Amino acid sequence: MPDLTIAVAKGRLQDEALALLAAAGAGVSSQDLSSRRLALEDESGRYRFIFVKPADVPVYVEHGIADCGVVGRDVLLESGTDLLQPLTLEIGRCRIVVAGRTGTSLSELGMLRVATKYPQIAAAHFGARGRPVEIIELSGSVELAPGLDLADCIVDLVQSGRTLRENGLEEVEVISESTGRLVVNRASYQLKAKAIADLIDALSHEIS
Amino acid sequence: MPVLHRNMDHTESLSKIPAGMRYYFGLEARLRRTVEETGMSIFDGWSYEEITTPTVDYYSLFEHGMGKSEAHRAFRFTDTDGRLLALRPDVTSATARAAATLFAERERPLRLCYAAPVFRQQPESHAEWRRESTQIGCELIGANTRVADLEVLVIASEFLRRLDLDGTYAITLNDVGIFKGVAESLRLEATSREEMRQLIDVRNAADLERFLTRYTSTGKAQAFAQLMQLSGKRESLDLARAVISNEQSLAALDRLESLWSVIESLDLTSCFEIDLGDVARLDYYTGLTFKIYVKGAGYRVGSGGRYDGLTASFGKAEPAVGFVLDLDALTELVHRRAALESSTLASQTRLQESTARDREEQQPENSSRDRSELFIEALKRRAKGDRVSLKLGR
Repeated sequence: MPDLTIAVAKGRLQDEALALLAAAGAGVSSQDLSSRRLALEDESGRYRFIFVKPADVPVYVEHGIADCGVVGRDVLLESGTDLLQPLTLEIGRCRIVVAGRTGTSLSELGMLRVATKYPQIAAAHFGARGRPVEIIELSGSVELAPGLDLADCIVDLVQSGRTLRENGLEEVEVISESTGRLVVNRASYQLKAKAIADLIDALSHEIS
Repeated sequence: MPVLHRNMDHTESLSKIPAGMRYYFGLEARLRRTVEETGMSIFDGWSYEEITTPTVDYYSLFEHGMGKSEAHRAFRFTDTDGRLLALRPDVTSATARAAATLFAERERPLRLCYAAPVFRQQPESHAEWRRESTQIGCELIGANTRVADLEVLVIASEFLRRLDLDGTYAITLNDVGIFKGVAESLRLEATSREEMRQLIDVRNAADLERFLTRYTSTGKAQAFAQLMQLSGKRESLDLARAVISNEQSLAALDRLESLWSVIESLDLTSCFEIDLGDVARLDYYTGLTFKIYVKGAGYRVGSGGRYDGLTASFGKAEPAVGFVLDLDALTELVHRRAALESSTLASQTRLQESTARDREEQQPENSSRDRSELFIEALKRRAKGDRVSLKLGR
């Protein structure tokens, strides 16, 4: 039985997260990695990894099914979780931004239509500024929405900005920076204190 | 985001159960009763008197009793005169009011206990899906001594041990005076104080250290950030004394240390931890705070502490300490263990059931038989304490 179960967000962060964990002594063999199994043990047998959709990482960790998780700050902001966040991992750095059609101003619109995968973040951002908005929740290809006139702007994650440019959009405002975070279940933090402290130490050693 | 339900036929709304609500039946219902009775008998054994508070009460009671942000999670509705009512989101508020009003003249200390459902509309985390949960807890009102603090801690750990959870639970201790003293000595205004509290709460040591270097030396900032990160035994207190020098925090550390010494002499240190990073609900608690965690439950199963400011809201300021455990979470733990056959509590509950079943005898169809004879026989068996199950025609 492994000491800790770690939920890793699939996709954008996954490779960097696994590389960092491997450097910290929690490495998965390349043979295991090339398999399609969604639950793996590391080579030391101390850690079990589960690979889940980013938005599901906080769910697994809050329930204590996974003791820890690696997930982007964007996901944590969107789902409003009750988790410990002991480490900011320098991986998957990106920005959550408001972007609109290049050359058009958003400030004169009485009501802003916002297309996004992040309805909570978008609502909180415009709510704090007192702007009336219609949030249009999409699950992907958000950059299409302004061009097709579904929305006036989008709230989305931007890494290089290339996707924005190629779809005729430009950054209007940065809402927040986002990088990968280590999150920990509050009960595991107390009940598996030693194992978690070891992992935090090893990871923070790698980061600094 | 409103969710549109088209074509919802009326049978669905009849079979559907509101989110966060559930049924209990069978073994789980019996175990839940056993857990409740275990707890209430322990409270009784420590001379706590049962109190039942109103299920519906004024919303303002809970605003005063729990603080605005917690009370906000309640189900609310209006009375015939327009005043705002709530389904009780906690029991402590009404108990504190009773202490200041109904029991104002009674001799102190007051020892009160309860097991009652509470209702919360807004969950705090993904794991807290229940909107109706049962709190089992106690309040010790009118005594501001280390002995009173210890009394409730010892009761909580007796309860957990009686549920066969020995060796799998941890009670983490802190004193809010430590944080409050540090925040005051750094002269933080409200927003910075809250920023520091949040950084400690999520155990973000690196950002906490960065935050603190605005106010103090790098070395001190680093030492304090590390101190807030980890829980431990007595050595946590020694480490804290090396970093913290303000009077309020030191007094709080002394209080914790005197508690810890007794915990040591009771040989209970394996299930207690000192966790200086527990800084939840600082404005509610005034001294000791504690959280209860059990292996197998992803979320804390209980919490408590000292809240000397609470009864003042109801007109009679006096010290108070208490805790609540989540009866449903405890039942779930015991039930899951029952499935693995490792819990004596569950096997006892099962045993009672099976011996009762062995003795039960099926009655023949009562169509041809004198019905009064059937009941005479049934009552005779009932008088002996047997379990009967009448076989009824359709």
